[in-house]
Amino acid sequence: MISKVLIANRGEIALRILRACRELGLDAVVAYSEADRDSLAVQLADEAICIGPPDAKRSYLSVPAVISAAVVTGCDAIHPGYGFLSEDEGFAEVVRAHDLTLIGPSPEVLARFASKEATRRLLSEHGLPTIPGSRGMLRDDQHALAEAERIGYPVLIKPSAGGGGKGMRMVRTPRELESAIKICRSEARSAFGDDTLYLEKWLEDNRHVEVQVAIDTFGNGVHLFERDCSVQRRHQKILEESPTPSLSTAARTELSERAIRAVVAAGYQNVGTLEFLVDSAGDAFFIEINCRIQVEHPVTEMLTGVDLVATQIRIAAGQPLGFGQADVIARGHAIEFRINAEDPAHDFRPGAGRVQAYHAPGGPGVRMDSHLYAGYEVPPFYDSLLGKLIVWGPDRPTAIARSRVALDELVVDGLTTNVEIHRALLQNEAFLEGRMTTNLLDRIGSAAFLAAAART
Amino acid sequence: MSDSPPPARSTGRPDRRAEGGGPVARPDRRTARERAGDHAAIDRLADELVPALIAKLGSTNLGEIEVREGDWRLRLRRSTIGSVNYGRRVTDGASRAQPGHEGHGHAPGVLEGHRPARGGTIGAGGTVGVGGNGTDAPGLAAVGPGRIAEGGPDPGDADPSFATSPAVGVFQPATAVSAGTRVRAGDRLGVVDMLGVPHEVVAPVDGVIGASLVEAGHAVEYGQELIRIELAAGRESGGEAPRQAGREDGA
Repeated sequence: MISKVLIANRGEIALRILRACRELGLDAVVAYSEADRDSLAVQLADEAICIGPPDAKRSYLSVPAVISAAVVTGCDAIHPGYGFLSEDEGFAEVVRAHDLTLIGPSPEVLARFASKEATRRLLSEHGLPTIPGSRGMLRDDQHALAEAERIGYPVLIKPSAGGGGKGMRMVRTPRELESAIKICRSEARSAFGDDTLYLEKWLEDNRHVEVQVAIDTFGNGVHLFERDCSVQRRHQKILEESPTPSLSTAARTELSERAIRAVVAAGYQNVGTLEFLVDSAGDAFFIEINCRIQVEHPVTEMLTGVDLVATQIRIAAGQPLGFGQADVIARGHAIEFRINAEDPAHDFRPGAGRVQAYHAPGGPGVRMDSHLYAGYEVPPFYDSLLGKLIVWGPDRPTAIARSRVALDELVVDGLTTNVEIHRALLQNEAFLEGRMTTNLLDRIGSAAFLAAAART
Repeated sequence: MSDSPPPARSTGRPDRRAEGGGPVARPDRRTARERAGDHAAIDRLADELVPALIAKLGSTNLGEIEVREGDWRLRLRRSTIGSVNYGRRVTDGASRAQPGHEGHGHAPGVLEGHRPARGGTIGAGGTVGVGGNGTDAPGLAAVGPGRIAEGGPDPGDADPSFATSPAVGVFQPATAVSAGTRVRAGDRLGVVDMLGVPHEVVAPVDGVIGASLVEAGHAVEYGQELIRIELAAGRESGGEAPRQAGREDGA
């Protein structure tokens, strides 16, 4: 049972969780750092507790501070939101050790899905296609050439240890492969102390599509269709929509059904998201599962009418889902615009400062999830997300038309935001025709993108 | 000005950054009259403001105070040599170092140690009475708690200071600590128990224990004021050893 929830997050998601708790009749306590004393969630909360200084390592990321706050305020559950401790595998164990409920999957479920590699193998066994790669690690050049031939060029050379692009190269020919392998080995050795490499098929012009699922502790699961998150800048999503414009209804339904069958069989519980890369031929490959609520969850809420945060809390409280797949109906089209304190004209430099004026757009199908208010001082310590504008329409063209109106109506004075990039997207042919791929924005360059939109 | 000031150094320099990122005035373009104005301002700042700020810095556990007045910005930083280094201040450097914070003329006042009253105007915690209007408009904004404003500009006023909670948890005062006990900066006044791990509550300044604001065994949040420390008798500090409560070296 859950009666009182500690909200261990900040910004718009703290507000979103607070609203869900209120709706469910639960008490909620907002845990905040000193930098967020004036935040909207703190001001709207019945109860709030300062857990540490602005430095997230000593507040939102501090396991003892968060647990202690829950204990001293008499909470029986903790909602981690997204980011911060929601991605900390050990946190769920500590939460349980203090007889608290983490709103999310149980520690056992999290442990099963903790390793990306093991999760790919597990879900592959349950019928999800994964990106073709080398069988095991590369022994020598001969082995690498043979494996690349089998997978088919282009291939991506990846180090077994670490990430961040070090020791990673895309190659298109055997010749390139031979020379790149030497560079990758030495890069990986100096960066991670391990020069083990493997190969993965390089998906050109891929789309990022993710399937939303919800599964209760009794094993009843539904999918809530997919979201297309292909509009990205340096691997950061900036706009998400559903349905995926490039997939037919049959294709997206099939993908969603395969995803839910696989995760139910693999024993997943609670709300989660399965991420796929979809190649230009329309084939989807599973990459990873997110065991938390995601930034872009409102897209699905607008599309299906299901409250995902409330669903997440009810599942964690041990309640049955209460609805079946037949009850999940996707209507119309929804688009989410992430409004960030970033300057698109200056390489998306993040900003902070005081909001001089704020006006949220309205009208049919328009939802604004934001923690802004006039006079609010955006602290410089955390991510640059100021809010999310979510627009629904009976079809994609209507949703786009409404989005233009809503973006024009939005006022955030005092800070530079990325609204211009959204306006430019809504002028862009590739976006309007549903041809966005994850690399498109970076390939064109945001400056050129803005300039092109200004000419139209 | 009979207070013994803590080791502090001050830097005064005109801040000619225009609000809103406008063009920056070149110092060499200034007229003789403007320069004379600068000198007068420097004199006034040095004679009036600096001693007052040193007194404020000494009576609080702040590491640094910054004020703005018109084009001028004045920052006092407590020397770390020979003074108590409070663990919870380690983030202050980072907060000050954040880019973009100075450029828009707003002091990160609410980030400092003490707790301004909830429900006040946003950011008003860092505004001093002199010319301040609680907005970003020119005036005198100080880094620090709202309490500075209450004391007014009179440096002779010995404001109380507060020992604050180093963690979110349960407060247990030290048995040796009671009203009237003389303490020195760094003395241990109790602990806040965070999941079984004690975090020390220390006196931020030399003084006399005043009212306890939180009862033993009660839950406290990070930064919460726990014990009032009166500074009235602090003028003889450095004289004979006062009655002490659990002083610990290197605290």
